[in-house]
Amino acid sequence: MSEESKIPGNLFFLSLIKNVFSRTIRASNNVPKHVGFIMDGNRRWARKNEIEVKDGHEAGFHSMSRILELCYEAGVHTATVYAFSIENFKRSKYEVDSLMDLAQRRIRQITENGELTDKYGIRVRVIGDISLLDKDVLADIQEATERTKNNRRAVLNICFPYTGREEIVHSMKDIIKKQNEGIITTGQINEDMIENHLYTGGLPPLDLLIRTSGVSRLSDFMIWQGTKKGVMIELLDCLWPEFGSIRMGWILLKFAFRKSYSNVKSTGDEDDDDSAIDKKYT
Amino acid sequence: MTMTEAQAINTTFLHDHKINDKESSETTGSNFHIPPPAASRMKGGNANTKRRTVQVISKSIFVDNRPNKNSDSDSGKFTEGSTFWKRENINYLEFTFYKIVLAELFFIYGIFRYFQLQYNKSKLKIFDLLYSPSNTPQLIRQDVIKLNKIPSRLAVILEVKPIGDVGGGLKGLLNDASELVCWTISAGVKHLSLYDYDGILQKNTDELRNAIFEHLSIYYGPANVPNYAVRIPHFNKVFYNKKGYGDGKGKVAIEVSLLSNRDGRETIVDLTRTMADLCSNKEMNINDITVDLIDTELKQLVGPEPDLLLYFGPALDLQGYPPWHIRLTEFFWEEDNNQVTYSVFIRGLKQYAGCKVNVGK
Repeated sequence: MSEESKIPGNLFFLSLIKNVFSRTIRASNNVPKHVGFIMDGNRRWARKNEIEVKDGHEAGFHSMSRILELCYEAGVHTATVYAFSIENFKRSKYEVDSLMDLAQRRIRQITENGELTDKYGIRVRVIGDISLLDKDVLADIQEATERTKNNRRAVLNICFPYTGREEIVHSMKDIIKKQNEGIITTGQINEDMIENHLYTGGLPPLDLLIRTSGVSRLSDFMIWQGTKKGVMIELLDCLWPEFGSIRMGWILLKFAFRKSYSNVKSTGDEDDDDSAIDKKYT
Repeated sequence: MTMTEAQAINTTFLHDHKINDKESSETTGSNFHIPPPAASRMKGGNANTKRRTVQVISKSIFVDNRPNKNSDSDSGKFTEGSTFWKRENINYLEFTFYKIVLAELFFIYGIFRYFQLQYNKSKLKIFDLLYSPSNTPQLIRQDVIKLNKIPSRLAVILEVKPIGDVGGGLKGLLNDASELVCWTISAGVKHLSLYDYDGILQKNTDELRNAIFEHLSIYYGPANVPNYAVRIPHFNKVFYNKKGYGDGKGKVAIEVSLLSNRDGRETIVDLTRTMADLCSNKEMNINDITVDLIDTELKQLVGPEPDLLLYFGPALDLQGYPPWHIRLTEFFWEEDNNQVTYSVFIRGLKQYAGCKVNVGK
């Protein structure tokens, strides 16, 4: 909505391009099923543009909805965003409060105006150690998840408050509990079981992980899922609010291209190169 | 002697790779000719991108129509079943239209990618010329001394390349590993973790120890080879120096840990099993299991978290590196690089030190 242009019809044109593009990507049959985002750089962006930190986060939120829209349109099933780390509790009280407030408003915003969730049938989930949250925040989360729980087409995971290590420990504890209750035996415990007991269990495996602001670390985000062989990790130099649909589209294109490339390679096709070229030009 | 035997064994091991990768078997043609390092870059496994690009485009666009529809119905299970079928019939024309647009997009991207690849390759060549260790620790020292901080622990992900490729096979892997050990010692980093997915280094410890010894004597002279320890956390074993060269009671200049996929998720599974048994025997309370406890345990089983992780492949792929140990680790890799070279190593250290790493990343 911040992108209102002076030329009439421009907006329509843009959205048309966006639609055609996302359907094209969808047709490639190589769309990431699960994308993770580390939305880094809101504060730095605010400082750079000399506006308030709060507005920086606001801009970050708009950027997020734009990108999620493109993703879901292109056929991404699950998106996971890193909103608040357990480590963030170590910051000053004032900052924690404002971050909490912000996240709470975001969650409300996503579900209340319902554009995004209804249009793409998104089920909103809040994942992480929610026992660390205040009561009223919890109530809001409950409401948000309640409201969208019947949506089936797509999933949005909001990590709040989350760390990858806590997620692994949580999964381990769940399994240990089950073993103690006699539901499973020790011998049955394996990798897949741990994976299914993660917060993202039962969802498609992570295919693509995007981090902005030029930092090349995972910062405790989806460490189990992201270190698997074959996960594409994109580290971008731009700050999160600058990360727009065009860049996202480019990444999706890159992903699709590379995926089809490796598919051709891995199927070990024995086609002659010449015949392939012939095909191209006939 | 043992070298050749091990290689013979490994030839069969790596045979699959060879078959899988058609390109490599093409370039293998002359087994005895080893291309010079500079040319090797162009002849590597992924060289013929232009031709492959065309192949990919044609494959995915003109041939793949069927599976595409299948997977559409796959995603259809998330939508309502009945409306879905109707939609697909109407959309067949539209679908073809999008396929054509996709062809164009891929074509444009392919051209872009081709130029990007050439650009990256020549960039890497230039860096190779700029940074050359020339087998002398002093030169490396000079490069490192300018940095205001160096990592205390370094991790590297190595890949076994098909035997026909340059730097391929077990020999290539050992060579890369021991070069890295030399650079790391010269840079003054005390801990190095070498990770390879299949644990080939773990299985060939003796060869690795010999190779490290050989390389170190090139760098430091046969008379003053520094002491080194090779640790395999999974078997809980430590080896010192080359076989028969002292048991390493003295100080070691570097500790090399060999990790594999087994040290990652599988170790966490093992830990879960042990803890489950302890809890059911009432030797442990489930509420005592915290992030800190698991952290201590895994540090003991696998080792501490590295500060910097170097990857010598074309695009970052963590290859199943132990997930617990990568939380705050910084990554460094060069796009479209496929070789273990000193320039990547030193540029990784530079990035870690907070220097400006120019272009590309």
